Amino acid sequence: MPKSYRDGLPISSDKFVDQLMRLKRGSISRRDFLGLTGLGLATAVMARELGIMPTPAHAAENLGDRMSIATWPNYHDPQTFENFKAETGVAVEVNVFGSNEEMLAKLQAGGSGWSLFVPTNYTISTYKKLGIIEPLDMAKLPNFDGKSEDARFTAEGTIDGTIYAVPKNWGTTGFAVNTKKLAKPMTSWKEFWDTAMAEADGRTMVHDYQLTTIGNALKYYGYSFNSLKQDELAKAEELLLKVKPHLFAVSSDYQPGMRAGDAWMTMCWTNDGAQLHRDVPEIAYVLGKEGGEIWTDFYAIPKDAPNKPAGYALLNYLMNPKVAVKEHLANGAPCTDARVNALLPKEVLDNPILYPAADLLKPLEFGAAATLTDPGRAELMARFKSA
Amino acid sequence: MTAVPDIEFRAVTKRYGAVTAVRGVDLAIPPSAFVALLGPSGCGKTTCLRMIGGFEQPSEGQVLIRGRDMAGTPPYRRPVNMVFQQYALFPHLDVEENISYGLRQARPRLSSHEIALRAGEALSMVQLAGYGRRKIHELSGGQQQRVALARALVNKPAVLLLDEPLAALDKKLRTDMQIELQNLQREIGITFVLVTHDQEEALSMSDFVCVMNGGRIVQLGQPSEIYDEPADLFVADFVGKTNLVSGKVARLSGDLVDVALADGTVISARKRVPLSRGEAVSVSLRPESLSLSAPGSGSLKGIVRNRIFLGSTAEYAIEVRGIGSLLAKADHVIGQGNLFKPGEPVAIGFAAGAPLAFPHANNNGTNQREDQNAEILS
Amino acid sequence: MRRSFFRKNLVTALLLAPAALWLVVFLVLPFVAIAIFSVGERAPEGGYQAALTFAQYANLPARATAFWNTMVLAPIGALACLLVAYPVAYYLALRAPDRWRLILLAMIVIPFWTSLLMRTYAWMYILGGRGIPALLTYVGIEDLRLINTPGAVLLGIVYGYLPLMILPIYVSLERLDRRLLEASADLGATPLSTFLGVTLRLSLPGVMTGFSLVMILLLGEYLIPTLLGGGKVFFIGNALVDLFLQSRNWPFGSAIAITLVLVSVVVLIIANRISTRLSGARRVDLI
Repeated sequence: MPKSYRDGLPISSDKFVDQLMRLKRGSISRRDFLGLTGLGLATAVMARELGIMPTPAHAAENLGDRMSIATWPNYHDPQTFENFKAETGVAVEVNVFGSNEEMLAKLQAGGSGWSLFVPTNYTISTYKKLGIIEPLDMAKLPNFDGKSEDARFTAEGTIDGTIYAVPKNWGTTGFAVNTKKLAKPMTSWKEFWDTAMAEADGRTMVHDYQLTTIGNALKYYGYSFNSLKQDELAKAEELLLKVKPHLFAVSSDYQPGMRAGDAWMTMCWTNDGAQLHRDVPEIAYVLGKEGGEIWTDFYAIPKDAPNKPAGYALLNYLMNPKVAVKEHLANGAPCTDARVNALLPKEVLDNPILYPAADLLKPLEFGAAATLTDPGRAELMARFKSA
Repeated sequence: MTAVPDIEFRAVTKRYGAVTAVRGVDLAIPPSAFVALLGPSGCGKTTCLRMIGGFEQPSEGQVLIRGRDMAGTPPYRRPVNMVFQQYALFPHLDVEENISYGLRQARPRLSSHEIALRAGEALSMVQLAGYGRRKIHELSGGQQQRVALARALVNKPAVLLLDEPLAALDKKLRTDMQIELQNLQREIGITFVLVTHDQEEALSMSDFVCVMNGGRIVQLGQPSEIYDEPADLFVADFVGKTNLVSGKVARLSGDLVDVALADGTVISARKRVPLSRGEAVSVSLRPESLSLSAPGSGSLKGIVRNRIFLGSTAEYAIEVRGIGSLLAKADHVIGQGNLFKPGEPVAIGFAAGAPLAFPHANNNGTNQREDQNAEILS
Repeated sequence: MRRSFFRKNLVTALLLAPAALWLVVFLVLPFVAIAIFSVGERAPEGGYQAALTFAQYANLPARATAFWNTMVLAPIGALACLLVAYPVAYYLALRAPDRWRLILLAMIVIPFWTSLLMRTYAWMYILGGRGIPALLTYVGIEDLRLINTPGAVLLGIVYGYLPLMILPIYVSLERLDRRLLEASADLGATPLSTFLGVTLRLSLPGVMTGFSLVMILLLGEYLIPTLLGGGKVFFIGNALVDLFLQSRNWPFGSAIAITLVLVSVVVLIIANRISTRLSGARRVDLI
């Protein structure tokens, strides 16, 4: 890890931990967490007592005594890294990020020092195109079992038949509704947008993220979540501009508003939906029947990883279902690995927010790299936000 | 004088917490007078001036201006104006704007024509015509002083208050301004109240000097009175130069006492307060009342230690055994008489009635302590 | 003679070198980098790719609303800040008892040591549904929404930037020669005209310093509108954050940043002019 991590830190480590604890309690969403603190390009070190323990002969390869991983806040069971260190002697430095864009920027700039990181599906092709990630050497990942993974997920990490990334979690983007304030049952994006201009006037939140906000506006008309067609985007813009004055906020930090009762309805990611519902039972999570987004986070190894053997070793360790199940219990998002799901308690698997019915999942689309990087959509978002 | 006094203090006391700065002052300043409040720093003189200006309120007693009790009247409603120490000119205004500041506050409003006219007159009065558009920081100390004067006088106050107005000027300028102030006061004919710690300034400019010490008025009188007939040892010592010689009362006869000095010499002195036989006294001997002559005559004998020749006069420091060093001042007449030289023995005589005897035990010490307290406050 | 002159200059240069280096590394270099970015193009995957084009500047009208919102917010925010700060600074400098002055100053400055983000989050909770509105339900006011309103943004701005406004005004009032106030009263000015004609006029350098400081910081503000305004009003700061961190359009973001810097410089120059003219002082300290 570069020594400079303290220099660039916009907030002190104490405050950072405060924020992190808030995040753990689920009152702030991960994308926001550090978009706002500006910590995106900085890092926090969670395991810093490095390599005092003797390194056991783990494999033929020398794993060294340290490595670093870039991941999301509140994404791992901290015990996992402790156990990994105990087993291999490799201390893991954890760097948390607020957005894929920031991860990309850091990796693109070079010298990130990461040996493993956690990109979301729609960024993998960009990483590949920029030549900054490695095709994975599957021989070094005996714990990974392609057969226990849903092909829908693994496909996003595979480009031209080569595996660049293996899936970890998946989730959906729907909306959360406070059913005490908005009693009528809702099942579609059309109802979401219409209600925002009627009963939920001044009480609705949409993401500060073009991919989902524009994508779900497109869904109002039944267009593709990933549409780049001028006329379809024009319709979506028209809708967004019409809704704008009725919104409570354009923000991806929607948990506080929902919990406080200021907001009654919001666009929402799976794990936030599960947390909100767990703590405030009247908040329901709805997947629009027109479709919307399904997403998956992956593990990948940067081409310039300083300690590839340790990167592979950690990735292989995390692919062990017994390890992975603890990870999933800690972060709450649904898992892509059937072997892990088999180990999860029944109430988790029965939670319709985490594991929705198959017919609801069917129309969902993965966000595309082109959708995310399209300048036209970025400008549309800017027009929407400044309207 | 039967006219209503311009300024009147009636039993005025001013306290700051536990410290009393002014105690029971009674004072009446007649119209058209030039009065100096004189005293060491912390004697209460500035506090008195500020009570006239309205910047301080008496703790007890009354301050009257032209017969009107000023209690509760804020500074901006009082018919007096002040020339502040270091002038307090407005740095953001030019000379003319400074001078017309007071005129622009007048209600009912004055016409801009009249304001310009009067400001112009005031400028010429202080010989600054043509300086109207200058910035304050572009002026010399003396010029700033004149602007401050003009700024105060342009409002035609009943009384002009001057707080150490010459303290910031060099000696030559100070002397010029002393004359100018005197002339101005005579021309305008209003009362000037000057606060100063410089006795020379007080004596040279004013019609009346009010000597203050320890928050009280010690003596009020014309400059010559103050100098010639000091009310107590403090005044004698503070106003002008004097030699103080200790002794004991040997004999009383009417207004005169015979005082036995430490070396046994007996001299005749006037007394200002009752004294008793055997009482320890200090005798004040003004340097100019000592006459020097060749040894053989006179009351005391001494040896010249230093001589300071000043042209019209010469000052001598004379060592008198058993008494100490005495300062003597002798006129020098051109072409006549030789000056005494250091090391020369001389005889010292006294002009009749010049020595003044005061009780030795005085409250000077306590006063000084109070002075310091008051100074911290002011 | 010549030699000692040379040596003197050398010493001066050496003494100034660290400061100059600091300026170059932390101010000039980033600025140059941004300037170069601003004439470049966005790479297809985002970021920067070399080019020489003024297309980004030509595209500035695409953020006209953001510029307009900012140009309205910054002066209004600074003015609101000023209206609150002046009486506080006045009290501190001219009225507060000496032994309280330092304590009061510390109370104003100390919260400033905490991150603005944290303090703004605190306001988010205070104004949010479980804060003041929850208390108001006890007196029968239901469903009042305070958060994500223009008022909340204004409050956040005033709260966040108050010390920056108070301190320079305090300093200028503290330096004010009290005898000028007495002189003004002595010359017949009522307390009000003394305040307007002397106190206010002479504290203008402080006012202008505070005003331009707050205004320039507000030109780049994005946190408070985001957190307390619900991100519904789009400021230049928000546009920059989006362009750099979301759509990764660095060249366009750089062009906006350069424009913003130029606007800030103009604001500073104007403020300096005004305060020099009004106070009549020979020299005006920027800060």
